[in-house]
Amino acid sequence: MSCVNGAVPTTIIVAGLALAGYALLMTALNRRMGLVLLAALGVLEILLLVLVGMVVAKLAGGERPASVATLIGYLIAMPFVPLVAGFWGAMERSRWGPAVIAVAGLVAAVLMVRLHEIWPVIGV
Amino acid sequence: MSEPAGSPEPGAARPDSTRTGPGRLLIAVYGLFALAATARAAVQIATKFDHAPVAYLLSAFAGVVYVLATITLAVGSPAARRIAVVSCSVELIGVIAIGTWSVADPATFPDATVWSGYGSGYGFVPLVLPVFGLLWLRRWARRTDSQRTIVTSAGRRGTE
Repeated sequence: MSCVNGAVPTTIIVAGLALAGYALLMTALNRRMGLVLLAALGVLEILLLVLVGMVVAKLAGGERPASVATLIGYLIAMPFVPLVAGFWGAMERSRWGPAVIAVAGLVAAVLMVRLHEIWPVIGV
Repeated sequence: MSEPAGSPEPGAARPDSTRTGPGRLLIAVYGLFALAATARAAVQIATKFDHAPVAYLLSAFAGVVYVLATITLAVGSPAARRIAVVSCSVELIGVIAIGTWSVADPATFPDATVWSGYGSGYGFVPLVLPVFGLLWLRRWARRTDSQRTIVTSAGRRGTE
């Protein structure tokens, strides 16, 4: 059984935590949403879509995790994390906009760990 | 770089509803838990209900409470805030009661719920979230009370 390249999930963890750290710094400095945070969310979105594609390719190859329903749920929900956080955070014109983005970064990192638990072929 | 958040006057930055300011963050986390708990419970009940019926039904109940809290916090009308206070209180009681139950009698919980171990599987966020929710709602209850006092005293002055 071959593995999904662990470099992408690892990159998502590092990127998610870095985004969360930067966003929390913006909250601490009383800054509102800016282009840097939106661009970072865009990068996170692309990385998540790449991973979804890789996992779907693995499923198409005939391999299955113990709980297919859970995995599919994660695959559908994952790309919405940066999107929804971006819209919800951009509507806020205070320091609490970046705080929402920080949650998205942390969630992306936690999702990678959970994905690995659901299907160990997805390396971290 | 992000822009500085406007004027530093506290009055200017004051949130104008339960869904702005810190409420924005609160609703984001509540929405996340609403989705996670209901989706997880739905999968568990649909695929392996007999494995841990108590845990799965409690997960589903927790999911419903999170959905209710998310919606009522986002709506923010006085009636919605009252429902939100009930939801957050049920959550706080739930996480403490189920947390204690799961520690005392692990056999009933072969599979974890959001609330077992006081929410330890979710970084204890389920324990902290209702506390912040209730604090946020109390701030709004106070503000509305003081506004009502100002309005009624102004009205009384008008009739004199």
